[in-house]
Amino acid sequence: MLQLAPQWLTGLAEKALTEIIALDPAAQSRLQRLSGRQLAFQLTEFDWRLVLTATKDSIALNLHQEAVDCAIRASLSSLRQLRDPNQLTHLIKTDAVQIDGDIQIAQQFSNFFQQLNPDWQSHVARYLGDGLTHKLSLLLSQLAMLIRHKQQSLQQLTTELLQDELQLSPHPVEVTQFCTEVSQLHARLERLQQQLKLWQE
Amino acid sequence: MSDSNSKTTHFGYKTVAEDDKVSLVANVFHSVAAKYDVMNDLMSFGIHRLWKRFTLDCSAVRPGQKVLDLAGGTGDLTALFSKRVGPGGKVVLADINASMLAVGRDKLRDQGLVDNIEYVQANAEALPFADNSFDIITIAFGLRNVTNKDAALASMFRVLKPGGRLLVLEFSKPQSELLNKAYDFYSFNLLPKMGQLVAGDADSYQYLAESIRMHPDQQTLQQMMEQAGFAEVSYHNLTGGIVALHRGYKF
Ligand SMILES: C[S@@+](CC[C@H](N)C(=O)[O-])C[C@H]1O[C@@H](n2cnc3c(N)ncnc32)[C@H](O)[C@@H]1O
Repeated sequence: MLQLAPQWLTGLAEKALTEIIALDPAAQSRLQRLSGRQLAFQLTEFDWRLVLTATKDSIALNLHQEAVDCAIRASLSSLRQLRDPNQLTHLIKTDAVQIDGDIQIAQQFSNFFQQLNPDWQSHVARYLGDGLTHKLSLLLSQLAMLIRHKQQSLQQLTTELLQDELQLSPHPVEVTQFCTEVSQLHARLERLQQQLKLWQE
Repeated sequence: MSDSNSKTTHFGYKTVAEDDKVSLVANVFHSVAAKYDVMNDLMSFGIHRLWKRFTLDCSAVRPGQKVLDLAGGTGDLTALFSKRVGPGGKVVLADINASMLAVGRDKLRDQGLVDNIEYVQANAEALPFADNSFDIITIAFGLRNVTNKDAALASMFRVLKPGGRLLVLEFSKPQSELLNKAYDFYSFNLLPKMGQLVAGDADSYQYLAESIRMHPDQQTLQQMMEQAGFAEVSYHNLTGGIVALHRGYKF
């Protein structure tokens, strides 16, 4: 039965996505602009390629390797950097990310997901009532704040520890300095390579 | 292999006059139409949904395309296609049986799918569509019931656009002996009883089990599709070959 597990998962994910989108009143109109477009996404480490089709009220999911409007291939490691637009050109140049087709469509899909803001509170309120939902929502945001706070102080602590006490990790200024030196070295190397080529010819 | 030259044909394990098979099959599906979806989930433990999603993936359907869901019955595949082809595309749900079409139409309407679906009562052997009309044709668990399969495949080939593809999802031959035995026990001992219990109709499910055994196996169906003119015909065994998905192109 494992053979059909991908179909099972995409079926479930599609259902969940449809429900999430239905909870965001603003999503419908934003979908309209996207409707009829297809984006494919594949992680280099896996055989499956996920195809997203924007429909009039949801995003349908499929798995195949055939023609779409825009196809992205990325490795797991480059995935985190993919969210940073400044990194993108670098990732494409180094072939860590490959994009075929209309890159604007990829951006439109990405925008759609980033702006997705399901109104889960009024949905939950139908089951719990308004009062309880409000309390729950308050509790959740306090919890989120607490986690963020703890995270920040933990991060600060580790940074200080690594930089000052153990001197394991470099200060940002040192990093910039190092980066400049590396680029200079890189440029020199390229000039050398060019000269070498000239001599060979 | 071909039953076009004989005057008799199979109806499950029975041999019947060719002219009678159509109405016998019709009786089966008139009788099961109302309970068809429940029985499908029950008999296959819900796995028929995954077989259909696999078929959908193999179609690589694109927005704007024209799809024929032949012997489409209660329209599971039609629903999946309708969302994907969008307002610029079209799905034709064709079935020989008015009761199945009616159940399908109600179900799809309840799901809010109305804009791009057309319902046509038609026999797969003589499709009432112009040549080169469809980008994709699917026939799921339908070919088995068709009297003259060669004529049906030829008719599908005719209405498919050049570059289009046919997908045949059908019960087939399990690949391992053990699975075969378990499957036999299930379909001849349990299936008719479940049919009796849930749909009040053991005969139709006895027919189902028999018609599955009489259906051409993987290689035979591949050859039949090639003879009808399809190119690059290949198949995937699903769930150990209990079901196979055949794909062929028209070039
Ligand atoms: C088992 S159902 C499959 C329904 C649907 N495709 C599914 O997978 O759930 C088989 C369908 O084939 C239809 N059928 C049988 N013989 C046919 C023929 N000669 N032409 C068109 N449809 C036919 C029946 O009416 C029935 O609805």
